[in-house]
Amino acid sequence: MPLRIWRKPLDADKVKLPRAEIHIIKDRCKGCGFCIELCPRDVLEFSEELNERGAHPPKVTDESRCALCSFCQAVCPDFAIFTVEKDCAGGC
Amino acid sequence: MKLSEFSAQTPYSHDEEVRIGVYVCHCGLNIAGSVDCEEVAKFASTLPHVVVSKDNRYTCSDQGQELIKNDIREHKLNRVVVASCSPRLHEPTFRKACEEAGLNKYLFEMANIREQCSWVHLYEREKATEKAKDLVKMAVAKAALLTPEEESEVPIIKKALVIGGGVAGIQAALDLGDTGYQVYLVEKDPSVGGRMAQIDKTFPTMDCSICILAPKMSDVGRHPNIELLTNSEVLEVKGYIGNFRVKVLRKPRYVTEECTSCGDCAKACPVTAPNEFDVGLATRRAIYTPFAQAVPSTYIIDRNLCLNKENIILCDKCIKACERRAINFDMKPETVELEVGTVIVATGADVYDPTSLTNYGYGKFPNVITSLEFERLINAGGPSGGHLIRPSDLQVPESVAFVQCVGSRSDKGHLYCSNVCCMNTIKDSLLIKEHWPATKIYVFYVDVRAYGKGFEDLYKRAKKEGIIFIRGLPAEIIEDRKTRNLWLFGENTLQKELYKVNFGMVILSVGIEPRRDSEAIQRLLTLSRNPDGFFMEAHPKLRPVDTPTGGVFLAGCAESPKDIKDSVTQASATAARASILMAKGRVTAEAITPRLILENCTACGLCARVCPYNAISVNKEMKRAEVIEAACAGCGTCGAECPFGALTMRHFTDEQVYAQVDAATEQDADKKIIAFCCNWCAYAGADFAGVSRMQYPTNVRIIRTMCSGRVAPKFVERAFARGVAAVLVAGCHLGDCHYINANYQTQRRVEKLWKKMERLGLSKDRLQLLWATAAEGEKFASKIKEMQVIVNSVSEEEIEKTRGLLGKG
Repeated sequence: MPLRIWRKPLDADKVKLPRAEIHIIKDRCKGCGFCIELCPRDVLEFSEELNERGAHPPKVTDESRCALCSFCQAVCPDFAIFTVEKDCAGGC
Repeated sequence: MKLSEFSAQTPYSHDEEVRIGVYVCHCGLNIAGSVDCEEVAKFASTLPHVVVSKDNRYTCSDQGQELIKNDIREHKLNRVVVASCSPRLHEPTFRKACEEAGLNKYLFEMANIREQCSWVHLYEREKATEKAKDLVKMAVAKAALLTPEEESEVPIIKKALVIGGGVAGIQAALDLGDTGYQVYLVEKDPSVGGRMAQIDKTFPTMDCSICILAPKMSDVGRHPNIELLTNSEVLEVKGYIGNFRVKVLRKPRYVTEECTSCGDCAKACPVTAPNEFDVGLATRRAIYTPFAQAVPSTYIIDRNLCLNKENIILCDKCIKACERRAINFDMKPETVELEVGTVIVATGADVYDPTSLTNYGYGKFPNVITSLEFERLINAGGPSGGHLIRPSDLQVPESVAFVQCVGSRSDKGHLYCSNVCCMNTIKDSLLIKEHWPATKIYVFYVDVRAYGKGFEDLYKRAKKEGIIFIRGLPAEIIEDRKTRNLWLFGENTLQKELYKVNFGMVILSVGIEPRRDSEAIQRLLTLSRNPDGFFMEAHPKLRPVDTPTGGVFLAGCAESPKDIKDSVTQASATAARASILMAKGRVTAEAITPRLILENCTACGLCARVCPYNAISVNKEMKRAEVIEAACAGCGTCGAECPFGALTMRHFTDEQVYAQVDAATEQDADKKIIAFCCNWCAYAGADFAGVSRMQYPTNVRIIRTMCSGRVAPKFVERAFARGVAAVLVAGCHLGDCHYINANYQTQRRVEKLWKKMERLGLSKDRLQLLWATAAEGEKFASKIKEMQVIVNSVSEEEIEKTRGLLGKG
């Protein structure tokens, strides 16, 4: 397409994508980093804190960027992370 | 392809005695009025090899032709020379007569004593007669060296490739498919439809654009003779007329044909981006269909956007949503190889991006939009559901201004007129009036070009509806920060007063420009482009959809900006032109292609480098050049370039040209000009000077070559060595060459000769270069007049010196 695409689409605010809630069960994490490595939106990063297992569990940088693909949940060997869709019935 | 080879036999060794018949035509009084034809015929009978020489009133008449045919039989003529009009007019007539009498048509030669003699020297009977004698002598000299030639025939594959699936490509494919030929339609985007699918209504009839296009799109999608290759690009085209081998890259959709286009996948997809089809005014998902009527309707995944990367499926939301299990991330790009006989280029055009015109503020002020964005906004299937809303507050504006010629007819954008914008704006303004009658609409224009059928009526209707047309484009657009309204400043040039008007929204009527990837297509198919960047047709009037490359045709905006009707007309024309070739099943090539003299070839590759058609390749293993005859157009640039005499240009051999030069310079060479003229422009221009009766000095002797690129430096040197006063090399304008770009070689060679002449201390004025079109007879005539001054100023010593210096080489 020759014309530069530069505008914010007119319906950008109307398109409702499901919002995610990311839950991390910190003490289950052994710090393998799979979730961080494989997240397609780079939503996760290692935190500074140490958990019971002496590992750095992941922390969420920007929850709104999560596309809810739930790959982190699928790939976690320790069932330490899961995502659920936010209930936005009353507005988010 | 079979190679054109030739063993060492000299091209002019004849087993039989050469017997030439000469026929000098009076053409009523057209020639006889200023040339003594009887005397010319008498003179011709004294020339070597001439056994019959006659003059008659009309040689082209049936009786005239019968005379030639009888003489061929009776006197066992094996060469025929007719001195009459231009070979561009009657060469085919006389060639046919020769053939009918059993003589190979390449054994016929013409002397042009009408357009290039009697008509341009109306009042100099004696000198004109002398010139006519010279011209006949030159023709006889060439005729003695002519050889019979066989025209080669090339079979044509009865399949066609159409590049581009806009309305032009669709129409061409449908017409060819309906005729019964197999068609491959290649489209770069995921769906066919092109620009027409984006437009809301068409002018002047206000038809719904997609409503009339969609049936054609689905026809093309399910036509038994049409194979649709969407999301595909042409990578490579090899071969020549009738036998193209094409490689097409078919990019994967990642959705199989199981798709029912229910849209469940897109609903589940968590990634959004601006939809290119809506010019970014609406969003789409990573899995999408560009628009509702898309053909094929199969969805497509934009892998640049999708969360899934190569070899790893991170997000499976679409896979889970698809009941038909139509999503397949394992699809790979594939290269499809096609064999076709004809190619139709319908690659369309781009839309001008007005960002660089900073005084209009496009890209800075949200309420300044382009006409293409407008089309999506006013379209019921578009992002606003057909409500004309302005981007800043999504409200319907109370006043709208159209600014014309944005990117057209200006040195700030393109110099040409984009053809469709005036009518498009008139149509758009009426659409606004139809839905929101109270809207104040102004159109700022340079000229309103409502030239087509029904266009003026629509223009009148717009004026009657209260749309105000103001002549004079705004110099600047400024935004009111608070209201986001726009102030237009400029001059009304009809009333000679300045204006400052406020509008809620401004629509820039943007022009059409050549596609950015035109160069790739140009290279693939060896096409040429005009200075504006659009593809060039073979002839602007008489071959408007052909290209210089045989078997390749042009339709739609790829050739020049045009509206839908013209695109469709042109598309049907290309289908007809391609069908002619395919229905015939074979094509004959004029026997003017080069023959390789194997012994002389050193495989240096110079010929291949100058060939405009890539018709020569160097076979490194065999250590020789190879000519692909069907791709060759016969310009002769290779023959002029070869330093070893390894390429013989049939019908325009070195020996034949030398013979013409020698014949012309036998007497009074020091008073003469030898002019080498290309068949298509300069020679035709000289003919035109004759048709227009433009008078010029009689001392010029024209030698016709197919292209000025055929003129080898040694021809020019031969003429000087024979003692001529001046030489003219004349061809088509640069960029306008009948053989794509062969005349650039002419320019290079003449410049080299100039340098050589300077080095030798010769006046380089004596060699002149002229670019003249077939319509520039005046230019040709004045050039000869101008050169007469040079001829008069050249001294005898200078001519002798030149003979000495250039005669050696």
